[in-house]
Amino acid sequence: MKFNLFFIICMLYSNIGFSQDELLSLIDDKSSEYSKYVFKGTKVVNSASVEMPDAGVLQFMIQHRFGTLNSGFYNFYGLDNSQVRMSFDYGLNDRLSVGIGRSSSLKAIDSNVKYRLIRQSKGVQTFPLTICVSSSIVFKQYLTSNSENNNFLFSNQFSYSHQILLARKFNRQISFQLSPTLIHYNLLPIDQLVHDLYSLGYGARYKISNRISLNIETFSQFNSENNVNPLSFGIDIQTGGHVFQFHLSNSAFMIDRAFIHETYDLWSEGSIYFGFNISRVFTLKD
Amino acid sequence: MIRNLLPLLLLCSINCFSQKYISNDGEITFFSYAPIEDIKAVNKKVSAVYNSADDNIVFQLNINDFNFRKKLMQTHFNENYLESDLYPQSTFIGKVIVLEGDKAKVKGMLTIHGVTKEIEADGTLLKNNESVKILSEFKVKLEDYNISIPTIVMYKIAEEILINIEIALNYSQ
Repeated sequence: MKFNLFFIICMLYSNIGFSQDELLSLIDDKSSEYSKYVFKGTKVVNSASVEMPDAGVLQFMIQHRFGTLNSGFYNFYGLDNSQVRMSFDYGLNDRLSVGIGRSSSLKAIDSNVKYRLIRQSKGVQTFPLTICVSSSIVFKQYLTSNSENNNFLFSNQFSYSHQILLARKFNRQISFQLSPTLIHYNLLPIDQLVHDLYSLGYGARYKISNRISLNIETFSQFNSENNVNPLSFGIDIQTGGHVFQFHLSNSAFMIDRAFIHETYDLWSEGSIYFGFNISRVFTLKD
Repeated sequence: MIRNLLPLLLLCSINCFSQKYISNDGEITFFSYAPIEDIKAVNKKVSAVYNSADDNIVFQLNINDFNFRKKLMQTHFNENYLESDLYPQSTFIGKVIVLEGDKAKVKGMLTIHGVTKEIEADGTLLKNNESVKILSEFKVKLEDYNISIPTIVMYKIAEEILINIEIALNYSQ
């Protein structure tokens, strides 16, 4: 009986005195923590990453690719040749972005849309991957003289690219991305046999400091003829308002279909292209 | 006799239990006034618990929940300065040490960016049976919390950040 009384008084006492830690435990954290900033830029090196401009943000990007490093002093090791892709990407909301770009040497206009299905998260909702779908359409302009050919169709100038982007941020340094890709050509390139080409992209980044990351990207092709797999290395440097990206790649191109299926240069021969991207963001809408 | 007293004691214990006020949607805003740029960010998901029986008070927020007008700033804030992947939360654990009318003084440990420092702040505490409203404004030095600002952006980010708190807590069972 005495023990019971003592016990009850103890209970009572413990209820009166709330320690600060107990107060803290009363805060039930219902939120899920999303893994953000999987990559620094909207591109791993050449191909799309799961990142996109934030809602209401316009990203202007200038991409340069020079000639090959083995082209000799006369061509200043490739720096004399350059091609450019300029693009605008805009975040319509937190999940959807659209973009448009123009590649100089390919004479191609491309337009893309990226949609994030789900985000890697832990907490109340746990999901291991960030998943996006990305599609682009490329309009490769032909010369007027081509269009006088009887066989010429306007739609010959189009090709399409569809990707599923599966990314995981393992820790603050390391992220990895798989990109199953389908490219459809309306008009076959001269060395291809089928209209639909399948490939799988691998991308990864390693953050060496808060502002600098190293990236690597390659694609393996399943049913493409003659061309080689692209292999690219990049370094992303984030400054106040810009992201600078420097690359070395055996592909000179900046749109999906071209760097995946139209690459013929070999790293082993030193046919390596130096390139860089500069991107700047503008907040258009709060 | 004890058996007869038991309900009474239980009732009493429930009474003591119910002196807490809780909020999950408090607002904390911070301001940085620097020569080139003024920066403001607001977090509307601040949790707070106040126990009026012993004047203990705690705040907690997720660094990720701060919203900036410029999203790039938000990225830099999370990635480069507060490193919210390493230190996702900020907490304050303290006690109301002075309460004269509405005027209150609070003292306790503030944790930001993994660093815990003792701070004191003045504010207003408006209490009735249903709710408690807390208002306060104080300053923190970035360097106290190991948040380093590169010289290149020194004129854009203030060394001392003004923090404004506005939280309405509701009486909780």
